Amino acid sequence: MDSFTIGVVSNIGMMSLLALSAYLLLLVGEVSFGQQAFFGIGAYAAGIATVLWGWPLMAALLFAAFCGSATQLGVALPTLRLRGFYFSVATLAFAEAVRIVFELFRYRREVDGGLAGPDGEHGFRDIRYIYDNGIGTQDFLVLIWTLLVLALIAFIVLERSRIGPRLRMIGEDDVMAALNGIDVVRCKLAASAGAGALAGLAGGFYAHSVTYIEPGVFNVMLGVHTLAYGLIGGLGTAFGPLLGVLIDIGFLESFRGLSQYRMIVFGGLVVLLLILRPRGLLDEIAVNRLAGLFRRAQ
Amino acid sequence: MTALLTVSDVVTSYGKIMALRGVSLRAQKGQVTCLLGPNGAGKTTLMMTISGLIKPQAGSIRFLDRNIAGASASSIVKAGMALVPENRLVFRDMSVMENMDAGAITRRDRDKVAEDRERLLQRFPRLRERSKQQAGTLSGGEQQMLAIARALMSNPTLLMMDEPSVGLAPLVVQEIFEVIAELKKDGVSIFLVEQNVHMALKVADHFYLMDHGRIAFDGAPDAIAEDEVISRAYLGERREAH
Amino acid sequence: MLVDLVQNTIEGLANGSAYALIALGFTLIFGVVGRLNLAYGATIMIGLYAGIFVHAEWQAGWMVVAATTLLGSVAAGIYVERLCFAPMRQGAAITAMVASFAIWMQLEEVATLGLPRHSYPFPPLVTGPAIEIGPFLLRREHLFMLVVALVVMVALEWLVRASRFGLALRAIAENPRAARFVGHNVERSLFLAFMLASAVGGVAGWLIASTDQQVTAMFGMWATFKGLVAAMLGGLGSLSGAVIGGLLLGVVEAYALWTFGPQVRDLSAYLILFLLLVLRPGGLLGQVHALRDADTRRRL
Repeated sequence: MDSFTIGVVSNIGMMSLLALSAYLLLLVGEVSFGQQAFFGIGAYAAGIATVLWGWPLMAALLFAAFCGSATQLGVALPTLRLRGFYFSVATLAFAEAVRIVFELFRYRREVDGGLAGPDGEHGFRDIRYIYDNGIGTQDFLVLIWTLLVLALIAFIVLERSRIGPRLRMIGEDDVMAALNGIDVVRCKLAASAGAGALAGLAGGFYAHSVTYIEPGVFNVMLGVHTLAYGLIGGLGTAFGPLLGVLIDIGFLESFRGLSQYRMIVFGGLVVLLLILRPRGLLDEIAVNRLAGLFRRAQ
Repeated sequence: MTALLTVSDVVTSYGKIMALRGVSLRAQKGQVTCLLGPNGAGKTTLMMTISGLIKPQAGSIRFLDRNIAGASASSIVKAGMALVPENRLVFRDMSVMENMDAGAITRRDRDKVAEDRERLLQRFPRLRERSKQQAGTLSGGEQQMLAIARALMSNPTLLMMDEPSVGLAPLVVQEIFEVIAELKKDGVSIFLVEQNVHMALKVADHFYLMDHGRIAFDGAPDAIAEDEVISRAYLGERREAH
Repeated sequence: MLVDLVQNTIEGLANGSAYALIALGFTLIFGVVGRLNLAYGATIMIGLYAGIFVHAEWQAGWMVVAATTLLGSVAAGIYVERLCFAPMRQGAAITAMVASFAIWMQLEEVATLGLPRHSYPFPPLVTGPAIEIGPFLLRREHLFMLVVALVVMVALEWLVRASRFGLALRAIAENPRAARFVGHNVERSLFLAFMLASAVGGVAGWLIASTDQQVTAMFGMWATFKGLVAAMLGGLGSLSGAVIGGLLLGVVEAYALWTFGPQVRDLSAYLILFLLLVLRPGGLLGQVHALRDADTRRRL
């Protein structure tokens, strides 16, 4: 594979992990405009761990997932009782606050004779772990996709277990779900912890893949994409967000002529789908129909 | 007689506005207990408080000899109380069958669940016809039937119903009350909030009249003439308009 | 010290009147449709960029620029309403909000593609030296903006409380189905309310831009956030609340700027919004409805 393809395919993998985090919250009916914050927190955490603390990559990625999960859980505790768009606006405000905190965040230490670490608005340079340790971009790509596949398998298992229907019931109407005996708060907190971990992990990958992160990356534009992937691709299956990412990055971003108008096309696509198919291309009905076809083919 | 549910001096308020000003009532086992009253009397607030959706400021709610005031909605359902809420009947995007299974989601006795489902489908044959259909596409009456069936799927000790006849055509209302009468015959204990005084008094063993967040009257349906009940409820509404 | 405090309060109130103007449009839409238009700031920005275009291309004077800004905002507002709000079925408030979020990004891209520089000059309206009151300075533009904010608030309040159109809007806000039954053309009223809000936004944007004498590509996001915080501070749906919320936000930001610097000023707005949502989702002038709702959800 040439480096351009490797770049695009890694990007698809990382964005899919991030999109899955927003999707998990969408399942329980929460529209988060702030997943980019946990992505950013994961990116900074993983970078700090390998560059400043000399941790191995796997430990750093785990740490990124942990930091994302813990902060999202912390945000979820006070915000989950908010109704619909109040929650969305709260996550948006939180994410923007985090972005400014990144701009103020300085943590510089001497590493190999030079200063390294996050430097406020100048960002965080030289997160070079994979290059310094001879991990090729292709190996890194395999690592990203391995974790993405693991995450997808986890989702499929979850959907088939007793938990899947519970999450969907909460997503449709949380008061009704509680009246059917479901512990809504516990389910939503669990979903938040999972979503934070996925976003943090994606961020950890991202930091090591691009080697340079700056606060401006973690803006609302990234947030709208993250959320929209699930909404476009479909909420009926965990493959929905993946489809959304493929449409955006695989198609819109990768064609030179289109990439300039990416947001115009993408924004229009989101709205059109929200009108025509409020639960995305692969919604529950489509998934059931596909499953039926598949069964008949066997 | 044993009281399944005993509500004593319950106070609930929204900020400074007091919606329940010390409500006390009982629901007996095997009976239909009715709560009547005008709009804004606090009936729905009381239902939400009993079922754990709102926390009361004061008072106690005993259900099966356990104080459930302040307990979470899900734990109250697990304790054996099922609510059919007003206007919020079914999971619209789920199929009829999925809705019924949703009612039994916390139950562990899987074989009994299948049995109960079969029994309920016999009682509500129209639900069987539409079992694969999306619940949101059902008519109002059918959704109400589904909501009742869904609540019964949790095999409740006490069935709470908040205005099951609201917004339905007279013939459908008739049908709903026939179902309530049948359930009563089967020994299901029911706590029913209603605006339709005439129909409610026909099935009730005991009724309460609520006004301005208090119980204004209670007795057996033959303790007082029906038009007297209606005029009290109506006057309550008039007074509130000022 | 005290002089600084008063001067900062004045600056805060001055900025706050801009926030108040934007919040008025926000709250008007929310009060009627119960929906949040996140593309609101972006629609204003489209109007401003239209104004900039006629100013830069044909050296148009302030009146033409003002009219273009207003028309541009209303046109963008109609686009948003047709795409994000009219086609969404009742009860789909969140879907409408997500749609408006996507359109926000789209409009921003359109604006930056059309006028790619970081900032553009905008013709001033009121000029002249700042008014001196003892040791304090007050810019004429700011005073003008505060007056306009109050006038718009009173006018909208009158419109909603006393006019036939306002009666229709209140009926729709209370119960859209009942309003339809008594013969209101709900779709038309909502459309007009949206246009009205966009026009208010256009006025707000024009005043702010002519005070700053420039517009940057960040305007859309800035307006959406500040307007949202201000409107939520005062309680979404309340017109007087929007003005109070706007002024309050302005003052708090001025103190934050004075004490900690510009980044903390922006941070403070987001933190206020976040804390407000968590602690008092109904706004400072909270309503029974919101309280009951919050209570129910806390119980889950």
